[in-house]
Amino acid sequence: MIIRAGPGFSLGRRFCREDHWQLMIQLDRLTKKFSDFKTGERLALDHVSFDVKPGEIFGLLGPNGAGKTTCLRILSTVLKPSSGSAIIAGYDVATHPAQVRARIGFMSNNTGIYDRMTAWELVEYYGRLYGIPQAQLTQRLETIFSTLQMNEIREVLGSKMSTGMKQKVSIARAIVHDPPVMIFDEPTSGLDVLVARRVIHAVESLRDQGKCIIFSTHIMREVEKLCDRIAIIYRGRILAQGSIEELRDKHHQRDIEELFFELISACDAEEAERLRANEDSINTGLDDTSMNVEVRP
Amino acid sequence: MNWRNVWLIFRREVLDQLRDRRTLFMVAVLPLLLYPALGIGMMQLTVLFSEQPRTVVILGAADLPPPQLLDGHRFAQAWFETNTESQNKLEVITDLPAENADKENSKALSADAEQPTNTTKKPAASSADLARRQRILNQAKELQVLIEQLKLLNPAAVERGRPATLLSPERETTQAQLRKTMSELFKQSGIQVLIIIPPDFDQSIEAVKQQLASQRSQPRENSAKDATAPQTPASNFDYPRPLIIRNRADDKSVIAYTRVVEVMESWERQILRDQLKAGGLPEQLPTPIRAHVVELADSQQVANNVWSKLYPAMLIIMAVTGAFYPAIDLAAGEKERGTMETLLICPASRTEIVIGKFFTVMGFSMATAVLNLLSLSFTGKYVSSLAASNLSRNVDLTLPAFSSLVWVAVLLIPIAALFSALCLALATFARSSKEGQYYLTPLLMVTLGLTVFCLSPAVEMQPFYSILPVVGPALLLKERLLGTADSHLLWLYSIPVLLTSAGYSLLALWWAIDQFSREEVLFRESERFELKLWLKQLLRDKTPTPSFAEAGVCFVLIMLLQFAALKMFQQPLSQAKPNELGGIMLKLMIVQQVAIIATPALMMGIILTTSVRQTFQFRLPKLRYLAASTILALSVFPLSLELSHRLAWFFPPLPESMKQVSELLSKNEQPLWLLFVAFAIAPAICEELAFRGFILSGLRQGGRHGLAIVISAISFGVIHMVSQQVFNAALLGLIIGLLAVQSRSIYPGMLYHFLHNGMQVGLSQIQTQLTKPGLHQVFITVSEKELTFRPLLLLLCALTAMAALTWLVSQPYPPREDSPAPAN
Repeated sequence: MIIRAGPGFSLGRRFCREDHWQLMIQLDRLTKKFSDFKTGERLALDHVSFDVKPGEIFGLLGPNGAGKTTCLRILSTVLKPSSGSAIIAGYDVATHPAQVRARIGFMSNNTGIYDRMTAWELVEYYGRLYGIPQAQLTQRLETIFSTLQMNEIREVLGSKMSTGMKQKVSIARAIVHDPPVMIFDEPTSGLDVLVARRVIHAVESLRDQGKCIIFSTHIMREVEKLCDRIAIIYRGRILAQGSIEELRDKHHQRDIEELFFELISACDAEEAERLRANEDSINTGLDDTSMNVEVRP
Repeated sequence: MNWRNVWLIFRREVLDQLRDRRTLFMVAVLPLLLYPALGIGMMQLTVLFSEQPRTVVILGAADLPPPQLLDGHRFAQAWFETNTESQNKLEVITDLPAENADKENSKALSADAEQPTNTTKKPAASSADLARRQRILNQAKELQVLIEQLKLLNPAAVERGRPATLLSPERETTQAQLRKTMSELFKQSGIQVLIIIPPDFDQSIEAVKQQLASQRSQPRENSAKDATAPQTPASNFDYPRPLIIRNRADDKSVIAYTRVVEVMESWERQILRDQLKAGGLPEQLPTPIRAHVVELADSQQVANNVWSKLYPAMLIIMAVTGAFYPAIDLAAGEKERGTMETLLICPASRTEIVIGKFFTVMGFSMATAVLNLLSLSFTGKYVSSLAASNLSRNVDLTLPAFSSLVWVAVLLIPIAALFSALCLALATFARSSKEGQYYLTPLLMVTLGLTVFCLSPAVEMQPFYSILPVVGPALLLKERLLGTADSHLLWLYSIPVLLTSAGYSLLALWWAIDQFSREEVLFRESERFELKLWLKQLLRDKTPTPSFAEAGVCFVLIMLLQFAALKMFQQPLSQAKPNELGGIMLKLMIVQQVAIIATPALMMGIILTTSVRQTFQFRLPKLRYLAASTILALSVFPLSLELSHRLAWFFPPLPESMKQVSELLSKNEQPLWLLFVAFAIAPAICEELAFRGFILSGLRQGGRHGLAIVISAISFGVIHMVSQQVFNAALLGLIIGLLAVQSRSIYPGMLYHFLHNGMQVGLSQIQTQLTKPGLHQVFITVSEKELTFRPLLLLLCALTAMAALTWLVSQPYPPREDSPAPAN
């Protein structure tokens, strides 16, 4: 399943500032603070830094609530960083959100599709919002619909679609403007094995077209299969990053799942130590130590 | 802003809404069906609705004078003048023996042949019916006995015109008991109205007639002789009258009573006519002044009156409901269905998204209002024409003139825009559709309150009302539809109405965009809310300065305390002697300032923040700010007085209590120091602590200093209650707020406030002395009543004030003090 842009349609290169061509995504000490009733102010992202190159899939691996979604929401300009910077295709997310949005394709659990629109209408609507000329848009839609095998659900309303169909429409929506950067936030969660597999293939084919891809997940197998480099994120901090081989060598652990557990346990132990050190500080989520990581056989 | 995106979003949202069956139903189907259905329902109800006959008991019916009052168990048809259907709604039970009912008829017949005879035979009453009547009659007789007792006890209670006698306490209690027994008996009996005809009543009436007849036959010269006749006219006219017993607190009794009165009155008129005829006097004698009425209102104007009430109310209510459901679906619904983030990552900016959605909501709001009005108008017209042909009464509802309808359309735009933006902002704030629905109730309540206010016939267009949201357009529309007001004046009013409405709509739209741009609003997670947790959090996460919400709570607290204190302060004032009133009032004003305004702010500051010094800005200012404050106070004071003087026409007149206060100022009764403390020192300290202290620093926490100054100034105005003072205080609040922010200290504001109020006190004290000629007359002219400033002075003041304000604004805003000072 290869999604190729139509003739003369290559937004990827055109959208990038030449001097940032090498690093499509750059995060520099990105920090995000939230405040809530229970714990007061807390850091959802704590000085997160990484870069992603074109043609590379960067995996963001972490348990639920680690800060993956917050990080990707900042990259998609939906949230604003509290400090630090994130530059995508040469544009800062905080200062040039519109330019950033035009250059990313974003897909997550939270990017649903409209119930009262057909698949064709929905993808076309977003294509228009990206300002693609109508003739070019129709051609692009035809290409996408045939490569994703969506022609039979063209006229189906969102409310009548199965989860798999919806996921396809979401992918179509995310790639309609052929963005140089793709961000997938747990795109396979809640999908059956068949659909998940198809999504993984779609991501791979996008990488083969030279797109710069961030892929967040809590499923180890997907990471091993798909990602060129990964970052393990926990409690808003990056515990380790590098290619899978590098991480294996560095931590002397061949099994990536074991590696993951070791890193996280170490982090929890450190946190507990820190808490014990200053007794007067209030329970900042100590009750969360029993985290639930979904592990697939 | 890219209008293409706005258009794309608008088109999609409209399409989406049109595909939603619920919206379509609410907007289009409901109004088209609702009013005709209501019309049909009303018709059905009037057909089905039959009123139970009410029971009227007549005791002493044998002594009823002619003409015939009764017709079997009904009042005779002839006495119902306006509504002939009422006859069957009253059942009359008399103490005539049942077999005598016909005899009574024949007796009346023989006495008065002119009355139409009753030939219809009533079906024989069943025995159960007879028993019921007998029971009721017995109870009526018991009541009669009680009435006699009451009459013996206190004649004034029974007979009109008797002088009230002072009863001994024992008699008073007996009377009360008697009344209680009577009312209970009355309630049990099922009688709605009891009429007691005095014995030989017919003979008394007949005697009057006879006398009048005899007077007529006797020559005038003999009238002197007449006076000496054994039967004097006075005694003839002073016969016992019938008694009617009813219970005003019982609706059934009230209805029956009004009908009985109608019957009795027309019966009385007939007897009077007979008597006049007997005396050879003209029938018009008892109505010497009855005027003829010429009715000018044609059916169009009558209809206009109806429309002028219906249209504004329907327009407003339907604009709200029409805006609300799409708004919830477009904002909260989008969050709920998980499509919000999809939309947020599209290239359209948040402003474009909100404006696209806003136009959609506004379109549906307007469509709902228009469809409802159309359906209502046509149904109303149809139903009224049906009713008109039935009742042969002129209630034809012609639709309003075209020009009025144009105004309906024009004024619908700002109303719909305001509500659409408000609803969109509220719906954006809501986490789910369900939560969004909760916000409808308060919005609808406020709107209904305003609508009811506008509908009151006493409320007319005024300069002040014309700038209020919703009220302005509603009143303008009402006057336009009524068509009685001066057309030129209405054109004049349209300008402020339309301008301010547009302003309010833009403000609401700005709020909606602001809501939509805030991530804590868009990604509000449902947090578990517990009072204990929340209080803990409040005390745990104290910041140096209060939060925005805490500032709001402080303001509401002050308002509520002030409201509660109204009653508390009323009491000592009402009990005070006139010569002490002023002193007490002044002392109460000081108490109010300290207890209601300063204390809540200070307490909240101490409890909720870590740095009282930073919250209230208790730091010594630079001298130049004190100087600026003095210069500003001196130069703005005449301008402020002049402005409020010039704008006096704009506001509703001051209430009495405020006039009292200003009189207090000008009289020299009170010691000067007390006046200064009450009017200048206490407000300068207390109001500044609250409004430029706690509230302003709370509002500033978001970093929007300009907005904070404006909101604190408005809240400062609002606590002054009276609209004119609200305006003045809000303007001054702007200046003082600016002083407080730029100088980073509360003291320049206090100084300004003190100088301003102090000058007011001082001026009213020395006004009388200023009438003497002197150098000051270059600047001011003083007459007996008022003091006016010369244009020269005003110009100088304006220039100085402008210069001082410009300097103040141009001062660089000092960075926030980061090192928190120790608490207290």
